[in-house]
Amino acid sequence: MSPEIARLLVEALGQTLYMVAAAGLIGTALGLPLGVFLATSGRGELFEAVALNRVLGLVVNATRSTPFIILVVAIIPFTRLVAGTSIGTTAAIVPLTVAATPFIARIIEAAIREVDAGLIEASRAMGATPLQIVGKVLLPEALPAIVLGLTLTAVSLIGYSAMVGAVGGGGLGDLGIRFGYQRFMPEVMAAVVIVLIALVQAVQSLGDWIARRVNRRLRSA
Amino acid sequence: MNALTPFPDAVPLAAASSQPDPREDASRPHGAAIAFSGVTKRFAAKGAAAEVVALDDVTLDVAPGSITGIIGRSGAGKSTLLRTINGLDRPTAGTVRIDGLDVGALDGADLRALRREIGMIFQHFALLSSRTVFDNIALPLELAGTPRGEIARRVDELIELVGLTDKRGRYPAELSGGQKQRVGIARALATRPRVLLSDEATSALDPETTRSILALLKRINTLTGVTIVLITHEMQVIKEICDRVAVIEAGRIIEAGDVYEVFARPQADTTRSFVASVTGAALPEAIAARLQPDPDGASQTGLRIVFTGENATTPVISRLSRSLDVDVTVLAGQVDAIAGKPFGNLIVAIPARPDVVDAVVALAGAHGLQAEVLGHVA
Repeated sequence: MSPEIARLLVEALGQTLYMVAAAGLIGTALGLPLGVFLATSGRGELFEAVALNRVLGLVVNATRSTPFIILVVAIIPFTRLVAGTSIGTTAAIVPLTVAATPFIARIIEAAIREVDAGLIEASRAMGATPLQIVGKVLLPEALPAIVLGLTLTAVSLIGYSAMVGAVGGGGLGDLGIRFGYQRFMPEVMAAVVIVLIALVQAVQSLGDWIARRVNRRLRSA
Repeated sequence: MNALTPFPDAVPLAAASSQPDPREDASRPHGAAIAFSGVTKRFAAKGAAAEVVALDDVTLDVAPGSITGIIGRSGAGKSTLLRTINGLDRPTAGTVRIDGLDVGALDGADLRALRREIGMIFQHFALLSSRTVFDNIALPLELAGTPRGEIARRVDELIELVGLTDKRGRYPAELSGGQKQRVGIARALATRPRVLLSDEATSALDPETTRSILALLKRINTLTGVTIVLITHEMQVIKEICDRVAVIEAGRIIEAGDVYEVFARPQADTTRSFVASVTGAALPEAIAARLQPDPDGASQTGLRIVFTGENATTPVISRLSRSLDVDVTVLAGQVDAIAGKPFGNLIVAIPARPDVVDAVVALAGAHGLQAEVLGHVA
């Protein structure tokens, strides 16, 4: 492999990491409160708001049912509004975040719903406010599931990021398509695939390790 | 407000918004009195399920500092009744008052302030798996905004009280059921409540552990004067630690009173069967099956003799044989302590002759014992 290709590979890896990290962080910042709200605003729940819960649920489902490549081009005007341009690595963060947010929200929602309802009742009996219940009980208890869910999100985002080459986002997937496929350079394709496998493996291992660290449930005495 | 008195009588519960002094106090805090008045709770019909009347016009007084047991079978409404005390369930009609304060009238911050004065323990412990023993017990204090140093002092005190000093940094998953419930009890006591609610707290525990948890509750009641209201389906629990008992069935209190009185003279059938479950006062199955209400053609009459109070040790059987010349066969019996007083229960068979039966009942009565004819056996 020429030094030129190696340089492109490193650059593409950097772009992928940048896009995935930024979309993951912003997506979590938006998806976390959204997920908490979805999990706690049903009938008879802490922040009961049934109508809003339904509407947000529909929006989340609609976003999640749109194929990512369609989403990327469909929201180009929105991307331009937010990022100032619709082309490039930074601009690609916008559709990635839009895809990640509802995904993370559903993961957080599911993790919180897994928390034993008896704990919510016990906290209420202790005189906890709804916000205290979320902050001191629900999120800490759901943390292992949330960490695993966010790991899953990161892996999905790595996959999605391969598609943002369509809007000049760059990254590993784009490198593989443009050089490995379009310029008939199978060694580039192989290198891209190997780096992607290693990256996903590393992310998953890190996520598993953190989840184990924060999970106090299955510890042996 | 005297800073050394955590619960001055004059301060209404929810109005006492300032933090109780965390230092150990020499003066004994007073448990609160709880008064249910015409409490009815209906759960609205849901889909195919019809409306449920969980509580039906319940009126009951819980004395301050007492240990009051509410016993009933599952679905009788006991859990709902308990939950009206801290407002987890709100009565459809009627009121629940704690030292005169109407729980149903409280909302938001006032209700939360009240709940900090009512501890609660649960059948499945409801501990946070992500927190250590120390941090679980600290939770109610954190919620109340207690300063860190005071939390540490109070929690260590409680850990010692419940005997878990060596488990301070352990997680619930590393504890046995009994240890988990001890954490639950310590947590419930963290804010120095005036009332402790126990929701089937020993139902998930083995008999040995149950006894040790009940002994702990009793000790805490004696030590702090906290009013304990517990619900259970096991008469053993009532027998072990309660002063007062209320029997609930289909949302109604069918019997209530001093535990000893209820054990000695149960009125309702449900109460009798609860009492029989722990006093050994049931006929052996084989005999019960052959029992007939009619004395005609019977050879033996089954009799229950209840020994109470100072008469519990009367040697009545030997006197019966001697003074009436009656052969007495003992079928079942047990002598026990209930609410700290001796209590005996004996089931005997005597010849099924009306004159003999009447004489035996009269003689028992003369010794201050109750005798009751259960039936006749051919």
